[in-house]
Amino acid sequence: MRLGSLENLRSQLLEVTLALVVGFVGGAIALTAFGHNALENIQVMISYGFRDLGYLLLKSAPIVLAALAFLVPLKAGLFNIGGEGQLYAGAITALLLSKVGFYLAIPAGALAGLLVGVAIGLLRVVRGVNEVVSSIMFNLTLYYLSMFAIQRYLLDPVYTHQSIRVDRVLSLPEVVAVMLLFPLAVYLLLYNTELGYRIRVAGSSSRVARYAGVNLNIVTIQSMAMGGFLAGLGGAIQVYGVTSVVDTTLSSLYGLGFLGIGVALIARGNPLAVIPAAILVSGLLIGSHWMELRGRVAPELADVVIGVVILALSAPYAYRVLTSRMGWGVGGG
Amino acid sequence: MKGITKVYPDGVIALRDVDFEVYEGEIHALLGENGAGKTTLMRILYGEIRPTGGEVWVWGERVEFRSPRDALAKGISMVYQNFTLIPNFTVLDNIYLAVSSTMRVSREEVVGRLQMLMGELNFKIPLEATVEELPVGLQQKVEILKALVMGARILILDEPTSVLSPLESRALFELLRSLKAKGVTIILITHKLREVKSVADRVTVLRRGRVVGVFNVGEVSERDLARLMVGSDVVVENRGVEGVRGGVALSVEDLRVRDDRGLLRVKGVTFNVRYGEIVGIAGVQGSGQKELIEAIVGLRPVERGRVLIDGLDVTGYGVGERRRMGLAYIPDSRGEGLALTMSLTENSVIGLLERFLGRLNSVRWGLAEGYAGGVVRDFNVVHRSLWDPVLYLSGGNQQRLMVGREISANPRIIVVHEPTQGLDIASSNLVRSKLLELKRRGSAVLLASSDVDEVLGLSDRILVMFDGRIVGEGAPGDFDEEKLGLLMGGFVEAR
Repeated sequence: MRLGSLENLRSQLLEVTLALVVGFVGGAIALTAFGHNALENIQVMISYGFRDLGYLLLKSAPIVLAALAFLVPLKAGLFNIGGEGQLYAGAITALLLSKVGFYLAIPAGALAGLLVGVAIGLLRVVRGVNEVVSSIMFNLTLYYLSMFAIQRYLLDPVYTHQSIRVDRVLSLPEVVAVMLLFPLAVYLLLYNTELGYRIRVAGSSSRVARYAGVNLNIVTIQSMAMGGFLAGLGGAIQVYGVTSVVDTTLSSLYGLGFLGIGVALIARGNPLAVIPAAILVSGLLIGSHWMELRGRVAPELADVVIGVVILALSAPYAYRVLTSRMGWGVGGG
Repeated sequence: MKGITKVYPDGVIALRDVDFEVYEGEIHALLGENGAGKTTLMRILYGEIRPTGGEVWVWGERVEFRSPRDALAKGISMVYQNFTLIPNFTVLDNIYLAVSSTMRVSREEVVGRLQMLMGELNFKIPLEATVEELPVGLQQKVEILKALVMGARILILDEPTSVLSPLESRALFELLRSLKAKGVTIILITHKLREVKSVADRVTVLRRGRVVGVFNVGEVSERDLARLMVGSDVVVENRGVEGVRGGVALSVEDLRVRDDRGLLRVKGVTFNVRYGEIVGIAGVQGSGQKELIEAIVGLRPVERGRVLIDGLDVTGYGVGERRRMGLAYIPDSRGEGLALTMSLTENSVIGLLERFLGRLNSVRWGLAEGYAGGVVRDFNVVHRSLWDPVLYLSGGNQQRLMVGREISANPRIIVVHEPTQGLDIASSNLVRSKLLELKRRGSAVLLASSDVDEVLGLSDRILVMFDGRIVGEGAPGDFDEEKLGLLMGGFVEAR
């Protein structure tokens, strides 16, 4: 598989640039509407967000994995909204096994995510349950199950608002290695293996897949398993690389899976482009905290600003995906 | 309609300078083979597509419809083969939904008008029944009622009997006659000669986008109509191409297959194809050949009977397993055979990927690219880059890529459905000569096509299908166009 032609790249860059402009203008309007100095605040967000490179990369890694968790099933024509729940499952499982050792706990976390993904896939294949619906249900169930697990089994005896610490914190190079290796692995898998080819044919059209002798049920399970695995790993990395503990309200995990969806869309479904997209988004996130601190911007408003930017960046691709995949508008075939 | 010409964006010329005239209060049949341009012409009249050239006149007035809404305002309505009803709504809800989108009426008014219409036309449909509970014949009547309530005075019916049983068809014709008595003008798109003779007053015959005859039905024989509809163009000829005749490659025993709606479409078909032989299936669309072919390649479950490859029962095998046994398939739809968002190279290896795998199941794209290069060279696929999405190719180029991919793989057995649709004469003949080449080298070819000349020209043996059965079998010399046309039109006694 070759990368798109130069022309294609140019138009994509133009699209991203325009989206960034639209996004920031939208954010500025929101800030101004609430009586803040828009220019100053956005300047704070951008300059502070990308200042500490180490922290920026650390924060990006789980988002990269969450994005891949959405991206792989997307290539098979499935919407894995369950990255959020799969990520909780991975984080909590990894934390539960921290007494055994990180070398086992982290893979176990990924495996837990995989099981959730497989469950969603099986429900679709065996019972015909739409993966979006079951994903949302799994997200909620796992959210409360995770809170329960922390309160019941993992509470730190001293700091009772959070869990116990992990046995070993991953170093920055280790986290960066994960963040670079997995997108590359996913890229190679999707574009250079038989499995990846079958996944992409299935995503292109179920009719063509049947014609080509691709078993849609098997591809559904496989791609959801991979998605779950990646999200679960993301959860484990968040705990072992970034936060070391999980607070009882799960605020350090909450939303990462959903953020991954946005990042995958910003990356135009390209596994390698997920890396810069995740760095961009986590930079904005870090910057928004500074904006809250410096500009006394309400956290909700800061979220609105980031939300507008992510929306503007991902909307064009999301629209293309929906029109081609769901048969809305043109291109249904 | 005067001098109507339609060129589709991919360069296919669907209609050339067509004049078409319908008198008020008559039943007018528009007769022609698949791809003759019947439906295109009517979609222009209905305002769904706009002609490239020509004029449309309705009730003595020049019109330019921008959408079906404009056509409806002039009293023109069209009933498609696939109904536009919401299955889980009631009859009344469906009709009210459509009517209320164009005019202000209350449900009571609609009910009143419906009851009056049904009284006049002498039939009854329970208005509170859910549409999906009704048999297909009644669903069609609901469509017709809908059109009438919306004020249709010209009713276009697109192949109305293709989904109906014989009994339902007869009931439909009764209804059409009483509509005519009411002064409604009816245009009947069809390829069935018997329907033309039994219900129409006048008939216009289309062939390859041109009008080849307009007659009063009483003054023309079925034979003449059949000959006109089928016509004769020069095609690549099979004669003189001798293949190495081998054993039986593919056989089908007493096969029965249902379509997606659950209707029995293949009603006990038995035949075989030998190596080094081309067997052609002739039949108008909807005679069951689509379902038969899908059952042979493994895309459709079989209700009864067996499919054998090299004498081995493969009835329970999937598509992939049959492919591995050397069975290739060219479908009649590019939307089925090509992944439009993927590149030419990637599309060239669909179904053949196993031949291009290296270590760890990695795809050897270099090798695949070489294969794709061969396909586009041999089949004149005009393209910019082998890595562009197939989406950007014109329809003809897509067709050549799809056909070329399957033929270049040198399959032992190949099932081919409408291989030359959308292709010009030169490309069609290229594809045909490649099929003959396959045969010469000893492959077994099963060819289904609604292009009668193609079947006559290429086949060593011809099977004629009508209504799910084989109604005629023989060498091409045993059939002339007239006899074939009659058989395909359902005049079984010609056997």
